[in-house]
Amino acid sequence: MRKVLSILNHVLTYTILVVLSVMVLYPIAFAIGGAFSPGKSLANLNILPFPANPTLDHFDDLFNRTNYILWYRNTFTIAVANTLVVVSVTLISAYIFSRFRFKLKKPMLMSFLILQMFPSVVGVIAIYVILNRLALSDSYLGLILVYSAGALPYNIWLIKGYFDTFPRSVDEAARVDGAGNLTVFFRIVIPNTLPIIAFLGITSFMAPWMDFILPRFILRSDSKKTLAVGLFEMITGRSNDNFTMFAAGALLVAVPFVILFVINQKYLVKVMAAGAVKE
Amino acid sequence: MRKKAAVYTPAASAFFMGLGQIVVLKQYLKGALLAVLEIVFLLNAGTLFKAVRGLITLGDPRPDLPVRLRDNSTFMMLDGLMALVVVIFFIIFYAINIVDARKQGKLHEKTGEVQTTRQFLKNLGEKAFAYIGLSPAIAMISFFVIIPLVYAVLLAFTNFSAPSHLPPNNTVDWVGLETFREMASLGGQFSSAFLRTSIWTFQWALLCTLTTYFGGLFIALALNEKKIRIARVFRTIFILPYAVPGAVMLFVWANILNGQFGPLTKILRELDAVEWLKNMGVLQSDAIPWLSDPTMAKIMLLLVNLWLGFPYFMMMITGIMTSMPEDIFEAATIDGADKFQKFRYITLPLLLYQTLPLMILSFSYNMNNFGGVYFLTQGNPSDNLTTGTFAGSTDTLMTWMYKLAYDTRIYNKASVIAICMFVVIAPFAIYNFARTKSFREGEL
Repeated sequence: MRKVLSILNHVLTYTILVVLSVMVLYPIAFAIGGAFSPGKSLANLNILPFPANPTLDHFDDLFNRTNYILWYRNTFTIAVANTLVVVSVTLISAYIFSRFRFKLKKPMLMSFLILQMFPSVVGVIAIYVILNRLALSDSYLGLILVYSAGALPYNIWLIKGYFDTFPRSVDEAARVDGAGNLTVFFRIVIPNTLPIIAFLGITSFMAPWMDFILPRFILRSDSKKTLAVGLFEMITGRSNDNFTMFAAGALLVAVPFVILFVINQKYLVKVMAAGAVKE
Repeated sequence: MRKKAAVYTPAASAFFMGLGQIVVLKQYLKGALLAVLEIVFLLNAGTLFKAVRGLITLGDPRPDLPVRLRDNSTFMMLDGLMALVVVIFFIIFYAINIVDARKQGKLHEKTGEVQTTRQFLKNLGEKAFAYIGLSPAIAMISFFVIIPLVYAVLLAFTNFSAPSHLPPNNTVDWVGLETFREMASLGGQFSSAFLRTSIWTFQWALLCTLTTYFGGLFIALALNEKKIRIARVFRTIFILPYAVPGAVMLFVWANILNGQFGPLTKILRELDAVEWLKNMGVLQSDAIPWLSDPTMAKIMLLLVNLWLGFPYFMMMITGIMTSMPEDIFEAATIDGADKFQKFRYITLPLLLYQTLPLMILSFSYNMNNFGGVYFLTQGNPSDNLTTGTFAGSTDTLMTWMYKLAYDTRIYNKASVIAICMFVVIAPFAIYNFARTKSFREGEL
């Protein structure tokens, strides 16, 4: 009797897991299938996400009839610039917070900790006016500054915490040998903390890709549109005309993302868990 | 001059920056630098004063002038704010100058010595590296994080809104608590919309957190069973919604839930369920109102959010469970505890204790979640409250604020909502702050 129950339990667990897997996979498969299905609209897609005669037409349309490549390039530019700014400013600030003593250190660190909770989006109206005032509206520079500034408080804390674990005795030894502040920073601290720097780089690179509100407020001209805004406008209200083309576009964003996620996964979980349990 | 240097130096420095350092202590370089600072400030005092006055008056309406010559109230507000920041910084420097004069004066009175120029430069050089290195971060955070927060608060006390108070054509005026009153007065259109949206936002954040948490917990537990052979495969599948960019999947979901042509409707049609529902009188047409019926739309929003959000908790909970100490479980087994008891009295309490911060963060994250609502419904379906207030029946505070600001440019009301969101986020920020290791151990 007990054995029967145990087998039943087993079968039930597997059934639930399989059903849930189908529910998780179906939307993804439906989008992938849509990207290769003939026809433009949602209406003539099959329920089963496997097209009978797959086609690459939608990728062709995407490149030739829409500004997709332009959006992709715009977003890529913003992401790269954001990464450069965030990584360089964060590293130098974290190094200083980790290794120097000065009067305003404590209040500054405390205010960063509180500020990182407020998403920049809440101040979006103010940001919009400020960028207008600085003649930075409708410019990448404005958007990049807003992104990177918003990311700094959290990242400085993260990297400072990591630098703190790197033994101070090593850089003191270098100082005895005559190394200056910058030499210690570039030759000793950075080479020894590369994994977390790579993590910082990848997350900063990923952050702007699917953001919507800020680029929509700040970048008003058509030629500066980013991917999220472009895809949203392609699909909203007219999904029946454009779904397959949208799916093709979505696929081209999602694939690199999944790859970056897989590369980053171990670290991501570790950092998230550390943030949750220890700190 | 040695006698009473501790009194004269700060007194002179309070009169004019650097005076005490130069006259009493003969610290010419330091004193000169401080004096130059005050001179620069005094030379610009007129501009600063004008900017601060502009913050108070917000300019005069001058319809007779061409648009580009009219007063731009929002810019004047910003300039005034910046001027205030400059004044505050100057006051801080002034205070530092007096404190330094007092310290150095005391030292001089006691020992007759003064800090030499070389010592001063060396000291400055050490500190300068820290301050120069931090200046990009400080400038960026002040301009694009702190000032926007303050500015957003100020905007809520103005009438900055379409159609008749939009610079550069028109000026904006301070209206005090007028906008707040309109949002809070019972019975008004905006207050009803505000109340409804706040309640739904709260429900949304709470239910999102609970569903994703327990969804993740359920799967983590199921996969943690030793008998499940291919747990790794399942785990990889279940992590996918987290790996794919959320916005992309929300766009896809919006199409899957298309009432007329979406695959879900088609599946139900194939099963003749649509026909049956129609005969039952539940449906009026061939389309299923996944996202166009208020209640149905809310349920769908929560389910899609569950789809997107459970992998996060699954990952976290799996991680915590693998790091749980084995010996407690062994001890419990020896004491005769069964599987359920072990879960109920050991695993669950430990998990809840460790994941409570995550749940709280998730709640505040969902309060501000924009895409999870906007990309699926844009806040629709609309109803009689939507006309005039623009708040649809699935709008949260976040999406409503966005719509008021971007679509209709009623910036003052959008700012009132932003303030409400600050107020809601603040306790979480403080909680987050209070539980950090560095805060608890009293060192940073």
